[in-house]
Amino acid sequence: MTERLQNIARKIGGPLYSNRRLIEYYWQRTQRNKLAVLGLSFIAFLILLALIGPFFTLDPTLVNFEENNLPPVGFATEESVYNIYTDEFTTTEISGTWKHPLGTDSKGRDMLAMIISGARISLQVGLIATGIAITLGTIIGVLSAYLGGWADNILMRFTDVMMTFPFFLLLVLIVFIFGPSLALIVLVIGITGWTGTARLLRSEALSLRTRDFVTAAKALGASDGRVIFGHLIPNVASLIIVIATLSIPGVILAEAALSFIGLGDPTTTSWGIILNSGQQSLDTAWWIAVEPGIMLFLTVLAFNFLGDGLRDAFDPKSNI
Amino acid sequence: MKQMLNHELLQIRNLKKYYPVTTGLLSQHIGDIKAVDGISFNIKERDILGLVGESGCGKSTLGRTILRLEEPTSGEILYKGMDITKLDKKGLRELRREIQIIFQDPDASLDPRMTVGDSIGEALIIHSITDEKERMKRVAELMEQVGLEAGQASHYPHEFSGGQKQRIGIARALAINPKLIIADEPVSALDVSIQAQILNLMMDIQQEFGLAYLFIAHDLSVIKHMAHRVAVMYLGKIAELADRREFFQNPLHPYTEALLSAVPSLKPKGKERILLLGDVPSPLNPPSGCRFHPRCHRVLPICHQEEPQLVEISQGHFVACHLYN
Repeated sequence: MTERLQNIARKIGGPLYSNRRLIEYYWQRTQRNKLAVLGLSFIAFLILLALIGPFFTLDPTLVNFEENNLPPVGFATEESVYNIYTDEFTTTEISGTWKHPLGTDSKGRDMLAMIISGARISLQVGLIATGIAITLGTIIGVLSAYLGGWADNILMRFTDVMMTFPFFLLLVLIVFIFGPSLALIVLVIGITGWTGTARLLRSEALSLRTRDFVTAAKALGASDGRVIFGHLIPNVASLIIVIATLSIPGVILAEAALSFIGLGDPTTTSWGIILNSGQQSLDTAWWIAVEPGIMLFLTVLAFNFLGDGLRDAFDPKSNI
Repeated sequence: MKQMLNHELLQIRNLKKYYPVTTGLLSQHIGDIKAVDGISFNIKERDILGLVGESGCGKSTLGRTILRLEEPTSGEILYKGMDITKLDKKGLRELRREIQIIFQDPDASLDPRMTVGDSIGEALIIHSITDEKERMKRVAELMEQVGLEAGQASHYPHEFSGGQKQRIGIARALAINPKLIIADEPVSALDVSIQAQILNLMMDIQQEFGLAYLFIAHDLSVIKHMAHRVAVMYLGKIAELADRREFFQNPLHPYTEALLSAVPSLKPKGKERILLLGDVPSPLNPPSGCRFHPRCHRVLPICHQEEPQLVEISQGHFVACHLYN
């Protein structure tokens, strides 16, 4: 059973799985970049938070108007209440409580619970959309390089067209027609986001295609599929990992931006949605917008640091 | 050698490989690079044909065309009497079991992301020897046959030296028991001390497996060590073809003379070195008449106009030169 699983993992994860020494080597090189390690730690923390956090927090959809606009622990705000009998404003100071460590929003929902559930959504968006985009980009790029000639021309001109296509407009249009749904947004980001990957992998595969080991495989009678999946893709695997890591933050930001301008899925509590709901009350309850903003900032930074670190680690020419 | 069979394994008839040169938006055809331009020769079973020539003369293209890694422009390649230029995909797969290739650069010829065991075993998978245990056993056998340890099968190419990598390349070519191996300058990327080891290994397995080689090289001392017969190529054509002894003792073509005079020797025979002037002309626009005439030290007036044919001067000694017609 484990042997079977290992075989499958070897085929999918390819050389990086089966080559422990290579992983160790890359890990050592990545480790030398402290920022990359920091980024990786933050991402690991975020994933853990998204996976098990929701079991420990309050229900992020629970509305409670008695406790709305509570500041985070350690902060206090003043609330003015107009008393109709005395015709006076009484100012009461409200400070954060440990029941809602990050405060509550205007509907009294727990911010901590919302941020954690938002982490889950943002990571899902980032990973799934990037997964779709990278898969498409890899297949189109490598196929284009391998086939060459007319097929290469057609695929690359198609890529050019896709690149010039205003994808944000497409998203707005689709959301307008089909209504905002997270799955749809993820799908559109994935289907439109593969072009850069395809270009990069094509150029990489072009130089691999003429290498002797590919010729040797052909001389042994290997099928096109075997050459592509057995030799070309494993040899661009490290590049794929770098591209994926570097494109995740872009996708997360794209979803947040869409949500911020009001095109997000209103049934979710993605960071963009929370940001959007917090912008109206920035002067009275700043934390509603600032908290998801900080999380977005840190997440994007973490993925970028890790991506940069991996790129340097995988590049045999860089001395780190 | 005594029981050398006289069966023709490979017969090449007037083989041509042209690369079209195009220009502009509409891909106008403005000429051809004549990499291989009308070559004929035979290789018998257990024969070693050495093929020499300067870089760019079409040696490697010829090797790759025989393997159908390049589509021939015209001509016939008969393998065991069957024309392989018209084989379909299935037939081609069968042909792969018979003809294999060893490459010049051992670094580039192994997939850096595959264990060497997997690289050697790939041929077995492709040709449906899929039982894992049987395959492992065969890989271990092959590795020992080429002088490596079977335990090294799980290592990656970067953990081996150049000579070891070339041994792995040889093991991979041997995996499916071919009858003919095209060795495309198999030692020119190696240190001289390693060269001899690899050459001796190739001689041993040639005996053991009853192989025939098309041994491509630009080093005549390597050819002298290996080949039974020698062919000299110049600009896509064969200039001279003879048995080894005849070739080295009685070279006829002026180009061969020049090549032989360039081989460093411990016992200088007082022979004057023939210096060739200039470079190999472009195969896009080869010289008129004899292709060698602009660089020939024994050029005749006829050489400028008429192209010499490859004719048999004595038993098994072919030369394409007007001096001998």
